[in-house]
Amino acid sequence: MGSVSRISNAILRVEKLLITLLAAVLVLLILLNVVTRAAGEAIFWVDELAIYTMVWMALIGASAMLRMRIGVSVTLVTDLLPPNVQRAVVRLVDAILLGFAVTLLILCWRWYDPVALVQSGFDLDKFAASTFKFIYTEPTNTIGIQKFWVWLAVPLMAAAMTIHGVANLLEGPPESAGSDADGRASSGT
Amino acid sequence: MTIGVFVLLLILGVPIAFVLLGTSLAYIELSGNRVLFDSFAQQLFSGIEAYGLMAIPLFMLAGEIMHRGGLIRRLIGVASIFVSGLRGGLAYVNLLANMMMASIIGSATAQISIMTQAMVPEMERAGYSREFAAATTAAGGLLAPIIPPSMLFVIFGVLGQIAIGDLFLAGIVPGVLLTVGFIVVVALVGIFRDLPKGQWLSKPEMLLAALRGLPATVVPILIVGGILTGTFSPTESAAAAALAALVIGGFVHKELDLKQLPEILLRTGINSTIVLFLIATANVFGWVIIFEEVPQRLTLWLTQLSSDPFVFMLLVNAALLVIGAFIDSIAALIVVVPLLLPIAQGTYGINPYHFGVVVCINLVLGILTPPVGAGLFISATLAKISPGRIFVALAPFLVVATAVLVLLSWQPALVTMVLK
Repeated sequence: MGSVSRISNAILRVEKLLITLLAAVLVLLILLNVVTRAAGEAIFWVDELAIYTMVWMALIGASAMLRMRIGVSVTLVTDLLPPNVQRAVVRLVDAILLGFAVTLLILCWRWYDPVALVQSGFDLDKFAASTFKFIYTEPTNTIGIQKFWVWLAVPLMAAAMTIHGVANLLEGPPESAGSDADGRASSGT
Repeated sequence: MTIGVFVLLLILGVPIAFVLLGTSLAYIELSGNRVLFDSFAQQLFSGIEAYGLMAIPLFMLAGEIMHRGGLIRRLIGVASIFVSGLRGGLAYVNLLANMMMASIIGSATAQISIMTQAMVPEMERAGYSREFAAATTAAGGLLAPIIPPSMLFVIFGVLGQIAIGDLFLAGIVPGVLLTVGFIVVVALVGIFRDLPKGQWLSKPEMLLAALRGLPATVVPILIVGGILTGTFSPTESAAAAALAALVIGGFVHKELDLKQLPEILLRTGINSTIVLFLIATANVFGWVIIFEEVPQRLTLWLTQLSSDPFVFMLLVNAALLVIGAFIDSIAALIVVVPLLLPIAQGTYGINPYHFGVVVCINLVLGILTPPVGAGLFISATLAKISPGRIFVALAPFLVVATAVLVLLSWQPALVTMVLK
């Protein structure tokens, strides 16, 4: 197994751990809300924190999904192809997904604009004034930190997706190319 | 051109979430609106930054815990008290159990996969044909997203910015109508094609099934009652249901080991991600098509066709049945709602709850129709027969469901009477 695969697998393990923890925190926060409201002592920041917990869980999960090759897809056409063509299509799809991950990473770079941030000497107001980007000045509603900390989930996801994408591409299609019933079964509706 | 990218990515088998992502990227690049790239990544985040969406992972968790904790098996036992003695008794048990399950699980695919494993082998042992058993179970699964709670209603409520709790209530009458319709189908099959005789449980057996099932019935009562009385928001009722299921499965039935909990959390986390990430990317997609002025053009075209709300609803239904057959129902909902809801409300004066319920039921049918019906394939895989044979057995159920759909489109009061 190549080193990219090993890194990617290590990331996947961390992602799975985080998803488990965040799912647990989500339930506890909502239950906390029910209990405190019933007691007449509602805590005002719980809702917002719970929403961020869910978004982080979903974005980390999205990266894990890419590595695990699950997700809802239309396999109507690809199922009709002979196996060797199917494998070629899987490789092509892997390449496309990697392309999207890299694009997303570049867009996150543009969004956070770290170069301009360094140039402004980490002065957030100066950054906003010189770039007309207000990413670093937007606050969260109730939890008392700047929103860019919370938004970091997107660049982190894009970075992890890029590594997973490279690993998937290098490893090639799994033995049973195409989606399995279990992957389908897990979709929503 | 953008549509070409969309179709190409779709048929290559790229996951639909990434199809939407890629199409949005392609559109921005081709349209030269490159300033949209600056907030692209942020849109991905804000697309799922909604209180109501938290109900999705929480209801999934509640369903999974109910399954592992043996609550579902006991609910089937409760259902069998009432109808097992009729001709085709197990088919009615199946539908009734599905109706109960639907008040816990909000996802048709999840419900079909759980119930197919529980019901099909048992029905086969009792002498039913496998395709009829699988078809009845799959049809029963359609109730999941219609009887509250419902994943689709949560998404519709978030997208349309209407109260999810009220949308849940609006689903009750249509859900009962569908159940009655399906019961009629089973009765007719029993008359014309003969189904195995049922056997009533003996008195002690009935008592035992009722006692065993009693704790499990707390969960649906908690969910529906909590939302009805306004004690819980839908999101909170889901968390409360998960906790109740955990306590009952772990301490009353003693079938659930707390050591399984991390694995259950991971599973529900990943399964809900599949839905949530799709919503996130669809939000970006919706944000992009607004710049394309697609909604405005569509409005113009539709209003030229007819000004009658019922005709509009029939047109929407026909279009959605086609779309739903090819695209996953959640993806279709996310793409369609921002386009059609403003037209329905603004131009035709249609009640948004009425519109929401009809659209969601319509899209749910798509999961049981080829070529991409996820529910049909899950059912076929788990019951080990071909999707085509199940589909033939399903046809009468789908005809009834379509009839209910037309009825609901025609009579909005059936949906809206429980509101206010």
